[in-house]
Amino acid sequence: MASRVVTRVLRPPHWNPLQSISNLSSLADYGDLLATLSRHRINVRYRQSLLGGLWAFLQPLAMMLVFTVVFSRLARVPSEGVPYAPFAYAGILPWTFFAAAVTNGTMSLVSHAQLVTKVYFPREILPISYVIAAGVDLLIGSSVLVLLLIYFRIGLTMSIVLVVPVVAVLGMFALACALVLAALQVRLRDVGVGLPVVLQLWMFASPVLYPLAVVPVAWRTAFTLNPMTGFIEGFRRAVLDMPFDVYSFAVAAAVTVVFLPLAYVAFKHAEATMADVV
Amino acid sequence: MADFALEFTGVSKRYWLTQPPAGSGLSRLAQRFRPRQEAFWAVRDVSFDVAAGESLAIVGPNGAGKSTILKLVSAITAPTAGEIRIHGRLAALIELGSGFHPELTGRDNVFLSGAILGMRRAEIAAKMDSITAFAGVGPFIDAPVKFYSSGMYLRLGFAVAAHVDAQILLVDEVLAVGDEVFQQRCYRRIEELRRSGTTVVFISHDLTTVERLCERAVLMGAGRVVADGDAADIVSRYRRTSGLGALETAPDIDSPVKTMAIDFLSASDVCATGYPLRTVVSFSARRTIPDAVVEVSYCTHGGAVLFCQQTTALSGPRLTLERGHGAIEFATGELGLQPGCYDVSCQIMTTAGETLHTFVRPERLLVDSGRMISGYFYMPHSWRKTIAGDRPSSPVRAALGATAIGQERPS
Repeated sequence: MASRVVTRVLRPPHWNPLQSISNLSSLADYGDLLATLSRHRINVRYRQSLLGGLWAFLQPLAMMLVFTVVFSRLARVPSEGVPYAPFAYAGILPWTFFAAAVTNGTMSLVSHAQLVTKVYFPREILPISYVIAAGVDLLIGSSVLVLLLIYFRIGLTMSIVLVVPVVAVLGMFALACALVLAALQVRLRDVGVGLPVVLQLWMFASPVLYPLAVVPVAWRTAFTLNPMTGFIEGFRRAVLDMPFDVYSFAVAAAVTVVFLPLAYVAFKHAEATMADVV
Repeated sequence: MADFALEFTGVSKRYWLTQPPAGSGLSRLAQRFRPRQEAFWAVRDVSFDVAAGESLAIVGPNGAGKSTILKLVSAITAPTAGEIRIHGRLAALIELGSGFHPELTGRDNVFLSGAILGMRRAEIAAKMDSITAFAGVGPFIDAPVKFYSSGMYLRLGFAVAAHVDAQILLVDEVLAVGDEVFQQRCYRRIEELRRSGTTVVFISHDLTTVERLCERAVLMGAGRVVADGDAADIVSRYRRTSGLGALETAPDIDSPVKTMAIDFLSASDVCATGYPLRTVVSFSARRTIPDAVVEVSYCTHGGAVLFCQQTTALSGPRLTLERGHGAIEFATGELGLQPGCYDVSCQIMTTAGETLHTFVRPERLLVDSGRMISGYFYMPHSWRKTIAGDRPSSPVRAALGATAIGQERPS
């Protein structure tokens, strides 16, 4: 066999951010694994279910109907001149993507403990595959959004292309959260228990079901520091053809640019001894 | 090409064992956040090298650190101190069935676990037929694995791992799973890879297999390397120290004759039920032994003797073993053993019944399914069509019995 001999050196873990970043190149060797795992997530989800892929539509649709009744008919939350149903849906969609990616990504290492203790592969592949799977659900859920836009006669404009950078950066932010939380969850199971509560609070603290405009001006700065504000507002404004809020999205993007590399380095550092405690 | 496949330099691994909380009140509460932990060194200052192409066994009692070594080499966990250098692609022959997803088909799961083991999709696709054949799951490959029997599950898991191309292969107790035919298939695969130049690191309790598969062995005890050297020496040392040596009976030094090896020869490199098998006993005699009897016994793992081959079955010609090296070959035209794994040992006696030497290290005989039909044994037989009512009368039956015995006599 004329295959080249690659030398790997295994040493005790030590804090080396550059080393972790250079690992990214070896991650490319596992592209097939990432593709297979992501496909597998989507394949498996609706196996042995009657409605199958239909659930990807039904879940956000049901949420949207409930919130529309409660917030628009009962509480009369304003929606910046857009019918409340598409307004809420355009917020629920990116939020669901984020929440699913973070929840599943956080649990990914513990739920694959059997694999983690038996075979080596770059562990970040597990959370990444869940972020990708959540992205596919976002895509499926978007078709409902298209139907809503047609029903409420909201025309699509060129601003829709802004969805691409918004979702891309949101995916990176979700990944950063998932990496940190997954590494913590391996050691402290409190993370998994507390996460749903935190996400619930976080959702109501982000302009998912209400516009940023209704937030008192005094609180506005604090709200904008929440990256999810930038992502949700950005997504909704791009889709519903409202003026894009560059400032809040810039904040969210800046947070992500700083947070993701840090999260990755921290994850790689924790990775070395993950199998001992998972 | 590097000279070494693996280099361990001063490698240690420490685990923290959490102690149950003690004391009361606040101190107990504080221990929730800062539990009392005790250091446990699973591996302590271990250094050894494995040359490229070498086959090394790591033996030792439970808790000696064997599995930790395996986890360290395969990068599942990082060492606490020291350095491990790995030259070449490394694969572990481990059972990956636990990574299967029950709802997915066998085929999908092969792609999944193949990818986890670092194989490319195209590579897996190319090997799919071979993997299916190795696992012996047949048409079930397209059924969800939740419908598999536990044996099929394990075999498929192994089959994937056995097909990873690697320069270094780690083997951890393959024997523990699967039926004997499958184990045999695993061993043949390991042997194949070894012959093609793959470095093999074998971690096992099965000393017979270690001796057979490995040139060198490292004996571990309490996380440290106790001895390192020729596999046969290390294994016999381990047997002595661990009390396994009690099996050893007649001391080799005093006996006038000694069995050196038992080898199996078969026409097509596979030994199978109903096919010819020759068993060669090599011996070394210090003096000429008249009236010798060489007996080979075929036993189950439990030690039950299934049958023997003897130079003096009932009454035969006298056998004289000349001084020096020699060999006795036993042959059967149709092997009666059903597929499986057997221990074959040998005894050299005198016609007077005195045992001269017992070969204490049974050789493993792996029998493949050949002419397998149900029953405890395969019985060589023939058949013909006859006219109804043409039944052998009782004198003929007696005669048939007589020839059967006669055939065993050497002519």
